[in-house]
Amino acid sequence: MTHTEVTEKLSDVLATEFEVDRSAITPDAPLMQTLDLDSLDLVDVVVIVEQNFGITIRQEDFVGRNTFADFSDLIYSKINESK
Amino acid sequence: MQYALVTGGSRGIGRAVSVALAKQGYNIIINYRSNKAEADHTLELVRQAGTDGELLPFDVADAQQATAAIEQWQDAHKGEYISVVVNNAGIRKDNIMALMPPEDWSSVISITLNGFFNVTQPLLKDMTRKKFGRIINMVSLSGLKGLPGQTNYSASKGGLIAATKALAQEVARKNITVNAVAPGFIRTDMTEDLDEEAIKATIPARRYGEPEEVAELIAFLASDKAGYITGEVININGGLYS
Repeated sequence: MTHTEVTEKLSDVLATEFEVDRSAITPDAPLMQTLDLDSLDLVDVVVIVEQNFGITIRQEDFVGRNTFADFSDLIYSKINESK
Repeated sequence: MQYALVTGGSRGIGRAVSVALAKQGYNIIINYRSNKAEADHTLELVRQAGTDGELLPFDVADAQQATAAIEQWQDAHKGEYISVVVNNAGIRKDNIMALMPPEDWSSVISITLNGFFNVTQPLLKDMTRKKFGRIINMVSLSGLKGLPGQTNYSASKGGLIAATKALAQEVARKNITVNAVAPGFIRTDMTEDLDEEAIKATIPARRYGEPEEVAELIAFLASDKAGYITGEVININGGLYS
């Protein structure tokens, strides 16, 4: 899976799961605010990402990551790690 | 199939809980640390109650052991999950604090408080994904009132009560409830070294409770009917403390 494919899939999945307009999801947009999530909802993002990308995410992986681009970078690197 | 994990399930209240949940249709995962013969007996009682079960031995205080055992179970049961966990494993090492060896402080805290984290944390993602879970923590009158000679036990149970309330608020929106049950004096191995006659005189109901009475309360909290009860500590103590 290429980086672009990860980004596209992540955007599609999150837009569907959290019922937001797909066009609101841009690389530089802040993930939590765009999806209208608070910290207690973070587990939802983890579960959805793990389920859709077959990777395991740990809490420390989130440190310093805010935008959709940050998250797709994380997923891309995790996918390559697990190969 | 629905699965319930009962830690410290080989004897006492843990055994009674295993049987009560089996009667409710759950497959029971019986965790124990060392007493396989007693755990086997619990498994036999679970099967007599009409469902099935399995033994999952590990030390709840050992994070690596607990995680490995639970992940192994999860890998072997793809598509299924543990929807009920009863954190029942605990020990007592009573002593007045001035004379308490540091290891007796640590071991009691490790099993009760760290054990709760070590066992519950690996189950939360599945419960979140499935939008259903029941987490029931065995606490004690000692954790509410504080009892002399039990600073370690009181601290561990008091900590677990606080964790119950905090986690309940984290996961309530996922249809996961987290409650604590605080028994008073219940007739088990844990209370057999106590002076029963002297203690009974202090209990308004004038008797010890039976493990099955605690188990029925836990079975209710595990049921669909208890979906709006969360973050609570429910006393079951014959009127001793409220």
